[in-house]
Amino acid sequence: MSRPGRDDSPDRLYTLTGGRTRSGPDSPFDLVTLVVAECDPATGMQSEHAAILRITEHPTAVVELAAELKLPVSITKILLSDLLTAGRVSARHPRKADLDPDVLEQVLVGLRNL
Amino acid sequence: MTAPILPGERPTFRTVAPAPLFTAVLAGLAVAGAVYVTPGSKRLAVACGAGAGALLLCAAVALAAHAYQTARITRRRLEAVTLDAGRLLQERARLSTDFDRERVQLTEELTHERARLTTELSQERARLTSDFSQERMRLTTSFAEERTRLTEERELERARLTAENKQLSEKARRDSHERAAALSATANAAGRMQALATGMLADLRAMEERHSDEDVLADLLHLDHRTAQAGRIADSVAVLTGARSGRRWARPIAMESILRGAMGRISGYQRVRVHSASDTAVAGHAAEGVMHALAELLDNAANFSPPSAEVHVYVEEVPAGVILSVEDSGLVMGDIQLRRAERAVSGDSTELGGLTGTRLGLAVVGRLSRKYGLKVSYRPSARGGTGVLMLVPQDILVPQDAPTPQVSLDLPEPSPSPQPSPSTPVDPEAVPESEPESAPSVRDHPWMSYAAGRTLADLDPDPVPTHESPERGILADAVTDVADALPEGLPKRRRGQALAEAERSRARAESPVPETPRPAPSADDTLARTARFNSFRRAVREAATDQGTRASDIDSDSPVSANSADSPVSAEPAPSLSHSEGNPTS
Repeated sequence: MSRPGRDDSPDRLYTLTGGRTRSGPDSPFDLVTLVVAECDPATGMQSEHAAILRITEHPTAVVELAAELKLPVSITKILLSDLLTAGRVSARHPRKADLDPDVLEQVLVGLRNL
Repeated sequence: MTAPILPGERPTFRTVAPAPLFTAVLAGLAVAGAVYVTPGSKRLAVACGAGAGALLLCAAVALAAHAYQTARITRRRLEAVTLDAGRLLQERARLSTDFDRERVQLTEELTHERARLTTELSQERARLTSDFSQERMRLTTSFAEERTRLTEERELERARLTAENKQLSEKARRDSHERAAALSATANAAGRMQALATGMLADLRAMEERHSDEDVLADLLHLDHRTAQAGRIADSVAVLTGARSGRRWARPIAMESILRGAMGRISGYQRVRVHSASDTAVAGHAAEGVMHALAELLDNAANFSPPSAEVHVYVEEVPAGVILSVEDSGLVMGDIQLRRAERAVSGDSTELGGLTGTRLGLAVVGRLSRKYGLKVSYRPSARGGTGVLMLVPQDILVPQDAPTPQVSLDLPEPSPSPQPSPSTPVDPEAVPESEPESAPSVRDHPWMSYAAGRTLADLDPDPVPTHESPERGILADAVTDVADALPEGLPKRRRGQALAEAERSRARAESPVPETPRPAPSADDTLARTARFNSFRRAVREAATDQGTRASDIDSDSPVSANSADSPVSAEPAPSLSHSEGNPTS
């Protein structure tokens, strides 16, 4: 019978995307692309789209979105592509990592010491 | 003097006169002589005396003559009368004789006739009596024969029927036994198929989470789709054989998920267009049935319409519940077909005999309609094909916005929390850890919505007791854990220590991670951290129990255990816990 902890949604992933499995060659999304909502969730919207718009009120990375939605990153990218095409979100790549290598090295050392 | 006898006849003068006259003559002569002879002086006296005497004599003679005549007449009359009387007497005697003779004759005749009649009567009676007795004998005989014959026939017939009845009842018993055995075997097989499909779907879902390669994902989704269709067929067989329908969901399923879940189980899901703005949800115990029925209707609509045509699903909330209408632009069903379909989906007949092999779907819909009170009706569609209306009654609907922890939970989360793994941007732990925040499930955040969980369970008209009690136990457990956790920062493990013994080292190893960025834990942070830890602890515990149950499920064949073999699903968070090395970004 039903037990807590099993998957708790009857949605299959392919029904979320209408069967699409790739977001297209010109997809601007990668794992760390920051996504910002451009509008509020509207009624009648697919619930994942609405959830994305709600979460991305503040800039959020794609991978974080995927984690929030409990969806694979690829599926999240497809959903984001739909929203981007509709102009409901905008994507922005994070600043290039211009951190000081010393700082990175110190972090690495610190991590190793853990 | 034989005159006719006349009364009053008197003697006539002629007859009377001669005698007196003759006397008178003689007397005159004597008187005259006497007078002549007598001397003269005495002659007068003699003449006078003699004359008077003569006169007297004449009178006397006249009287005598008259009397004589009278006597003679009377005598003659007397004689006549006497003669008459004699004649009359004679006549009477003759008559009497005649009469006597006649009477005797008549009497004789009467006697004779009576004797004859009596004889005839007795003869007739005897004849009739004999006839009657003969007839009676004959009838009695024939009746007895007939009865004997009939009795024999009846005995024969009864024996034959008894034998036949015995044979038939034997056959019926054998058949019903075989039928029950076949049904139970089919139900058993269907249950195992269901469990396999469910487990495979969960495994596939876990794999889909794990593999980020789009090609692999496409293949996995393809397999996922195929498995979902196989699962639907197993569900159909289970429904038809009266077994328990597949899974039960622990929480209300939103209408959008119902529609997508139904779509995901048919081959032509990409042709289905959903038009829904409904925010209701179907109670957990009925969600699977509604989904399955809708999937069958969608499958029919997609199969009986051109491969390029779309199938439209509309959701409309009405006071009686929610109407799901499925419209296709395919074949138009005739009146007879519509009626047949309506009868099939009405669920009135639960016999399996009406199945035609290819039309399982409508019978499945009928069974499910009967079970969950769905009302399905057919009508020609405005799109040119067939339209099906399915009314989901209000008593299996739950307002979706009753528990709304989602918004309140999402708010603290977007601000980058310190936990998600400072080492790697994509920590696989983030998936299970963020589970409580994004899932609208009640049991995923017991610390916030325990009361909401209670009301939700109370709203459920048919709560499933088997998952109710453990869930509440977990909820209560979690609440005490929260109470313990708040002052100390981390919950103490009281229950499930033995089960989680193997994982304890890992838990200890991870405990410094959330502790490091804890300069001054705010209330929100504490709550979020507690929830996260609770979900982690639960995942660990379930993984342990599932491993145990799965091991026991492998070699047991009962459908109950087949149903409990849903457990691979519950292991979903476990792989991501133990597969951190599978993350490509680490």
